[in-house]
Amino acid sequence: MSQSLLTVRDLRVTYHTAGGPVPALRGVSLELEKGGSLGLAGESGCGKSTLALAILRLLPVETDVEGEIILDGHDVLNLNPGGLRAVRWTSGAIVFQGALHALNPVQTVGDQIAEPMLVHETVGSDKEARVRTESLLGRVGLTGNRADSYPHQLSGGQRQRVLIAMALACDPLLLIADEPTTALDLMVQAQVLALLSELKRERDLALMFITHDLSVLTYACDQLAVMYAGRIVEEGPGWEIFEDASHPYTRGLAAAFPTIGDMSSRLAPSGLGGDPPTPGNLPPGCPFHPRCPLGRDECRLEEPELRVSGAGRRAACILV
Amino acid sequence: MSGRGRFLTRKVAGSVLTLAFVLVFNFFLFRVVPTDPVASMFRGRGVPQEALDNLRTAFGLDQPILTQFVYFVRETVQGNLGISYQTRQPVWEEIVSRIPATAALVGISAILSALIGTFGGIVAAWRRNTWKDHSITSGTMLFYSMPDFWLGMILLVVFAVVLGWFPVGGIVTAGTNATGLPLLLDQLRHMFLPALTLTLAYLGEYALITRSSLLEVMGEDYLTVARAKGLLDRVVRRRHAVPNALLPVVTLIAINFGFVLSGAIAVESVFSWPGLGKATAEAIRGPDLPMLQGLFLVFSAAVIFFNLVADIAYGYLDPRVEDR
Amino acid sequence: MTSVALQRRKATALRVWTQFRLSRQGMVGLGILAVFVLMAVAAPLLADVRELNPVYARSQGNPLWGPPGEFPPLGTDYLRRSVWAQFVWGSRVSLFVGLAATVLTILIGSVIGIVSGFVGGRLDAGLMRITEWFLVIPFLPLAIVLAAVLGRSVWNIIFVIGVTSWPSTARLLRAQVLTVKQRLFVDRARSLGAGGWHIVSRHILPNVSGLILANATLAVPISILTETTLSFLGLGDPGAASWGKTLEEAFSNGAMIINAWWYFVPAGLGILAVVLAFTLIGRTLEEIANPRLSGER
Repeated sequence: MSQSLLTVRDLRVTYHTAGGPVPALRGVSLELEKGGSLGLAGESGCGKSTLALAILRLLPVETDVEGEIILDGHDVLNLNPGGLRAVRWTSGAIVFQGALHALNPVQTVGDQIAEPMLVHETVGSDKEARVRTESLLGRVGLTGNRADSYPHQLSGGQRQRVLIAMALACDPLLLIADEPTTALDLMVQAQVLALLSELKRERDLALMFITHDLSVLTYACDQLAVMYAGRIVEEGPGWEIFEDASHPYTRGLAAAFPTIGDMSSRLAPSGLGGDPPTPGNLPPGCPFHPRCPLGRDECRLEEPELRVSGAGRRAACILV
Repeated sequence: MSGRGRFLTRKVAGSVLTLAFVLVFNFFLFRVVPTDPVASMFRGRGVPQEALDNLRTAFGLDQPILTQFVYFVRETVQGNLGISYQTRQPVWEEIVSRIPATAALVGISAILSALIGTFGGIVAAWRRNTWKDHSITSGTMLFYSMPDFWLGMILLVVFAVVLGWFPVGGIVTAGTNATGLPLLLDQLRHMFLPALTLTLAYLGEYALITRSSLLEVMGEDYLTVARAKGLLDRVVRRRHAVPNALLPVVTLIAINFGFVLSGAIAVESVFSWPGLGKATAEAIRGPDLPMLQGLFLVFSAAVIFFNLVADIAYGYLDPRVEDR
Repeated sequence: MTSVALQRRKATALRVWTQFRLSRQGMVGLGILAVFVLMAVAAPLLADVRELNPVYARSQGNPLWGPPGEFPPLGTDYLRRSVWAQFVWGSRVSLFVGLAATVLTILIGSVIGIVSGFVGGRLDAGLMRITEWFLVIPFLPLAIVLAAVLGRSVWNIIFVIGVTSWPSTARLLRAQVLTVKQRLFVDRARSLGAGGWHIVSRHILPNVSGLILANATLAVPISILTETTLSFLGLGDPGAASWGKTLEEAFSNGAMIINAWWYFVPAGLGILAVVLAFTLIGRTLEEIANPRLSGER
């Protein structure tokens, strides 16, 4: 029986903004085993990036975070600062989107990869760190001498690989990839996806893959969770959900990615009309019902909980 | 030639070219003057016309303009900037003797305004929208909006005339025979108020730029990444945020130096500080044209040089600059 | 201008004004400016212009260096003249020179910036070289040297300021024109056969006019402060009693030594207030044009 590497129970996150409190996550629960893979899909504003940041407690200090997050046996939300810093990057690491802003422009790429090694003392000396850095760069498909380059000297795909190498620096058990392929060319996307799958197999890495592109997730992940308006509205085995979704939103998302090659459809799922609701301004009852093709009057009354919709599957819709 | 060598050569050549244009400008500027330089030099002295004509020939004023220009460049490069109308001494010597006083005053003021202004900007950004931020931002804007010499006048009246804590002007107490440390202390006492004036008047830009630069950096993803790696907050700030935020400040040092130096013209006058600024104010009263020409050249050269240094330093600090 | 374009202009102006009204710093700036403009305009009603004449002042039996207590509201100076009168009438000169010099600066800077950005090529490179030169040269010494050569008059001062301040405006506008040029619709207009002038007036100007306005408002403080400094150094028009000239007279006649604060404090405060007003207004306009600047993220 595989142990759970990451357990999230009823996570609620509320931001404090100039316009008042904004509930970004409204009760999210999930579980990820060691070496497992979970895809997290949804449009912008659904809370998926917030979830990624919450797992390592990286949200701004004023944010309200309630619930429970257990990572590698650690109760993340109640760790003292020293304990928290020790857990970061060693138990779990994040691969951000590879835009220029995720890397410090005035530091070499090699220094940035080596930095966590030195901070967590997983290497004994600068020289060792350098050796490890070059081998990591090699593993992600770049040459070792790239360590002396600055971020602006690399292409988008190369920067993404650097971010992956950096995330692996302390041999984490969990890798959270937040939109790692979004701004990349299709060819490069495929390469990066393949790389992530290989790494996962080699190192028995648990992978949490966050994106709005459902087709990418079905390739990379065993389990799938679809998010809408700060909650999970469907979860289960990846392929099953893609082929035969229970929740109308998932069906819309799946239908919105017809062919590989249509760039514009990747950015805004066109199978669904309208826009996702703003987190501070949710419709009554089921937040999806204004855009739902199967919406009924009862949908407005009460927000549905997740209920079983198949073997190992759940969906939050009254039609299930 | 290596990339770095190319970069340096390009920058230095650019500065030399700019300085050359200053020379050309200087030359043609005073040829535009309707008044005859020789006549204005001997104004009201009843010198016979013949003597004036001889002088004109001696100055080469009857030569074609191109020849005059060549003489001008040759003499300037050799350090001959002409004779001051007012003192009859070589302009070069008048200027050189006054450089130390201005260098000390402007040097200290520029450094202090940079340090205090930048620090203020960092605090304002870190405590954004608190009373600290608002008071720093408003305070610096207030000082920035007043004439620098007027601030000097106010400080002079309050601290020197009314309270008597500091001397009213000059660089040393009149009739003093002090040397060594006591002399230095006396000079510092005299420098306090003018330096305070220039520092207060020019720290505003530093605070403003540092603040907005740091705010921009604080929103960048790579800071979140640094925290995610398990770094202490203060290490994130020191190693990742501040170096990036301070890059625009390096450029500002060059620009602001020019302003502080120019500000010294009026401020030195207010405090009778015997430097290049006061010399400029006195030269205006003539108008002592050779002196003004020489001073303009020296001011320009100083600012051009400073800009060059800051440009090169920035090129080294920011890896994104091409052709390193 | 077509009526459609006119409507659009009006709508934009209205939108800007509504946003402006919400900004506290903007309204404070506008308020201060209004007070001083009123003062300048209503000068004859506020102070007798004869008070500026030392002969008249003497004939009135005014005290010498009289403090405000003795001679309200602001006392007298070394020539027995009313300081209040100098303050009120001085506002006229300071404001006028500041605004006129700014108009000249903006005019030169805009033309050069727009032409340079629009035409491109060698003209652009050449103009930019000149602009760079001006930007490196210390601006006040240059102004001093020019003013010393040209002579002391109000128009010379306006000319000197205009001719030395245009570079930053030119650079800003050129950058903006380059951005606008890259947009598709300019190419489309070209392909439709539109001439250069048409493109500039119909497409480029509307897109840069907001920038020009914000830049102009922020350039006025520089003009005013420069005029003040030039007058203080003795390069101002001897006949024009600007605030800078008041400060020069105060300094030259020892007002500081005898602590005749009523003579030099008001003029400086006037400059401070007006400069602050324009800065606040300019910053508000900038924030409206570029919401990112106000700190909203």
